[in-house]
Amino acid sequence: MAERHSRKQEAWQLEQSAESSPREPQGQNREDKASVSTVSHVDEPSPRDEASRLTVRMENTYQLGPTRHFPVAAVNHILKDVLTAYLQEAEYDPEFCRQMTKTVSEVIKAKVKELMIPRYKLIVTVYIGQQDGQSILISSRCLWNPKSDTVSSYALRNSTLFALANVYAVYFE
Amino acid sequence: MEVYHRPCDEGGFNAEEAHNVVKECVDAVLGGEDYNHNNINQWTASIVEQSLAHLVKMGKAYKYIVTCAVAQRSAYGFHTASSCFWDTTSDGTCTVRWENRTMNCIVNVFAIAIVL
Repeated sequence: MAERHSRKQEAWQLEQSAESSPREPQGQNREDKASVSTVSHVDEPSPRDEASRLTVRMENTYQLGPTRHFPVAAVNHILKDVLTAYLQEAEYDPEFCRQMTKTVSEVIKAKVKELMIPRYKLIVTVYIGQQDGQSILISSRCLWNPKSDTVSSYALRNSTLFALANVYAVYFE
Repeated sequence: MEVYHRPCDEGGFNAEEAHNVVKECVDAVLGGEDYNHNNINQWTASIVEQSLAHLVKMGKAYKYIVTCAVAQRSAYGFHTASSCFWDTTSDGTCTVRWENRTMNCIVNVFAIAIVL
């Protein structure tokens, strides 16, 4: 523990002294014979480097767990309402669905934030696909503390498309 | 008063390293395979579990959420989006897209820092 602590201090000082050259967020394409993979970054490194220099130091809360647990049932209702409102009558269309995934995930995030559950971080993922007789399998695994963290999910199907929304709620210890 | 130091993070989530780790796992499980409806369940489960195991071996103090979507490669449309409410200095995400002749695979990794 002490060693890690001193390493962190060292890293922090090195960051301060050297001007870190900003890494451009690029997609790397590595072509194999049989597979192609790409990496995508959303963050820009330079503002994050600055922010990590000014990382907030937390004081101990002495809390062992969340005072208020994440209401899975309420969030299930929110997911169901949002998905049916936006997508029940919709036809699959590439542009429309591309926009919809982003819109729906933002709307769900805003509604869950309105519930004001303290100290929970949220991850909302939305999948929308064309229903065309093909097969798809979506799975997820989480490494977390099952007493405080949870997931809520809802899937909707209509004649031309399917939509799946997941909300992962992680307690900030 | 004592100042509480966060021993984790060291500059936030390292997406490059996570990407490499996950790509190796996907290659190991799906490399050279063709789409097969019977095995797909097993494949997604192994991709996700192996990725999680390797991520944990990196030894960082993070909680991980790994999702994997595998689909047959045909003329269909598929969109995915995610929005996250977290601390951008310490938490991060990484997405790996992999494909071969018969299938597409998308793996998302979300990492949330644990403050020890």
